[in-house]
Amino acid sequence: MRGFLRIGGMMVLITCLCGALMLTACQPAKAPDKNGNPDTGDASAPPITGKIKAGFIYVGPVGDFGWSHAHEQSRQHVMKLFPWMESTYVESVAEADAPRVIDRLVQEEHCDIVFTTSFGYMDSTIEAGKEYPNTLFMHCSGYKQAPNVGTYFAELYQMYYLNGLMAGALTKSKKVGYVGAHPIPEVVRHINAFGLGLREVNPDARVTVKWLFAWYDPAKARDATEALIAEGCDVIAFTQDSPAICEVCQEYAARGKQVLTFGHYSPMQRFGQDAVVSGQLVDWNGLYEEILMRVHTKTWTNRDYWWLAKERATLLGGEPDVPINPKFVEPLKAVTVKDPILGPISVHDLALKRLDQMREPTVLFDPFTGPIKDQSGTLRLKPAERASMSMLLSMDWFLDNIDGTIPKN
Amino acid sequence: MDHLMIESILTRAVAAATPLLFAATGEIVSERSGVLNLGVEGMMAVGAVTGFAVATATGNLGLAVGAAALAAMAVSAIHGFISVALLGNQVVSGLALTMFGLGLSGLIGKPFIGRSAPVRFMPVDSSILSDLPILGSVMFEQDPLCYLAFGMALLTWVFIYHTRWGISLRAAGEHPLACESMGHSVVLIRWLATLFGGACAGLAGAYLSLAYSASWIEGMTAGRGWIVIALTIFAAWNPLRAAWGACLFGGVYVLQYVLQNKGIAPNILMMLPYVTTLLVLVLGATKRNRRRFNSPVALGEAFHREMR
Repeated sequence: MRGFLRIGGMMVLITCLCGALMLTACQPAKAPDKNGNPDTGDASAPPITGKIKAGFIYVGPVGDFGWSHAHEQSRQHVMKLFPWMESTYVESVAEADAPRVIDRLVQEEHCDIVFTTSFGYMDSTIEAGKEYPNTLFMHCSGYKQAPNVGTYFAELYQMYYLNGLMAGALTKSKKVGYVGAHPIPEVVRHINAFGLGLREVNPDARVTVKWLFAWYDPAKARDATEALIAEGCDVIAFTQDSPAICEVCQEYAARGKQVLTFGHYSPMQRFGQDAVVSGQLVDWNGLYEEILMRVHTKTWTNRDYWWLAKERATLLGGEPDVPINPKFVEPLKAVTVKDPILGPISVHDLALKRLDQMREPTVLFDPFTGPIKDQSGTLRLKPAERASMSMLLSMDWFLDNIDGTIPKN
Repeated sequence: MDHLMIESILTRAVAAATPLLFAATGEIVSERSGVLNLGVEGMMAVGAVTGFAVATATGNLGLAVGAAALAAMAVSAIHGFISVALLGNQVVSGLALTMFGLGLSGLIGKPFIGRSAPVRFMPVDSSILSDLPILGSVMFEQDPLCYLAFGMALLTWVFIYHTRWGISLRAAGEHPLACESMGHSVVLIRWLATLFGGACAGLAGAYLSLAYSASWIEGMTAGRGWIVIALTIFAAWNPLRAAWGACLFGGVYVLQYVLQNKGIAPNILMMLPYVTTLLVLVLGATKRNRRRFNSPVALGEAFHREMR
């Protein structure tokens, strides 16, 4: 009996192994196509006519309610809007797998344009641009372009500044926490913009920063938040994709202790009705409409789209059309600051006024306007000087009211 | 650092210790019987996703925890089949189980990413006791699963050291032939121990997805399964020592964020459990400590009644 069991088990194992071998053997079989004749398939294809097929590569699962989810929402939006559009997507693509997935989208799916939606895909996208000169590529959040590779991004720092204004009005302990995903220029920019807003309303308040080293990890976000609250922070802002921090703050509210927070990227007010003051939202619809329309009308160029409040790519609020949680409108109206130009004004009105100013075609106001000093006291921006694009894209210093370090890799 | 902060750190440390303790208790029983199961990480992940899925579907926490334990037990049965019934290599089977469990949980969990659990375990409200200084909230403001974990560790300790069943269990791992000649079935003992280990890992997973963070993400076990293997060695296969060992290792998770601003890289802290485990292994190698820290003699060895 036992001998039989052992033989039976071996058979099962062998069958499984054979199956696995066959599966893996199938995949490389396609490789010679690519190596043998790199770009014949596309060179013979006619240039883009009526129908346009777009391929989307996502770094996370489309259901994460964060980054990839937002891109997927906009893909569905343009699919409904443009009858001439076809599309396909691949989700949860590790950065190292990007070249293989791009190959597939170009060679098998015959995409006219491929959107690579993570910073880590940058070099793969540039390489693919060289390999497939007749396909267009748009890389999200990167800084490298090529004749057939453009870039696009929806930048949130203006909204973080507005959140900072509100945090300054609402903190009682004058200690504000910030949970950052990774120490990269994008997040550092967010933290500094938040710090600028905070300083404008509450010059003595300070920001303490904790890093998660993860974009989406609710357990880590929770641990970091608890640590900040233990240190005395009563407002927590964040750049990471999970709503866990809103939930923690809501739990504190339920127990009678007020710890406030701001939603990030997607609608998160629903996770903390009594704790989420406002937040930042991204709307990719306009960007995708613009890019695809240009492909359709053959006016596409390899430009760099850097869209902000002015283009309505980024919005203020924890839910669409709710710039400030109604629960906090009164407390924000109760705090008044004296602005050199606007005079005495409530923080509620100041935030909305600044939002309007940043939405003007000429952008009447930018948070990164000097004088700005970093932690070591070095003057980074002279009075009235606005930050240049290169400074924003490579920011690796903290404002002087921020406690924390930026680990160098 | 004021006392409020110490209190908060300790409270979170005990919470972080809970999943480690659950799984370590199971792994201790399993290893005491001679079955080395390196698949804790995988079983935990399956438990976490099952618990979350059932909680989302039914809104019943008890049902969710039960389902998580059963699902992880089913996964551990694969290990039992290969290592106990087929006498296969336990290390290979355990490693395969980790990868299998992580993959399977990712597949099942796809629709649950980004959602919040409709129900979750909350700290019990015992207002009088939790007002005690420092230890008040550490001991009396945890959730029910946390108490279950520590209770189970205590009961398991009693079971291993103070019952006849415990002697049989230990005999199966120390000297299976002797155990067999005493009239006990080593195969049965090892099967039961493996399944118990699986159920415990499932509880650990359920704790992660229903109490610790109340959400599901792929790979949310984040290496805790391996910490549990280290903790089992650290605790020298003693559930009570595992209890405070778990608090120590759990504290490491919490301290990462507390010490970050003091210039201590989180990577160094994440290393600590493994460094301490290596230290224990070194200490255990000295002659004086050998009896106290040695692993079950027949750990990882296949047993077949006719192999003598």
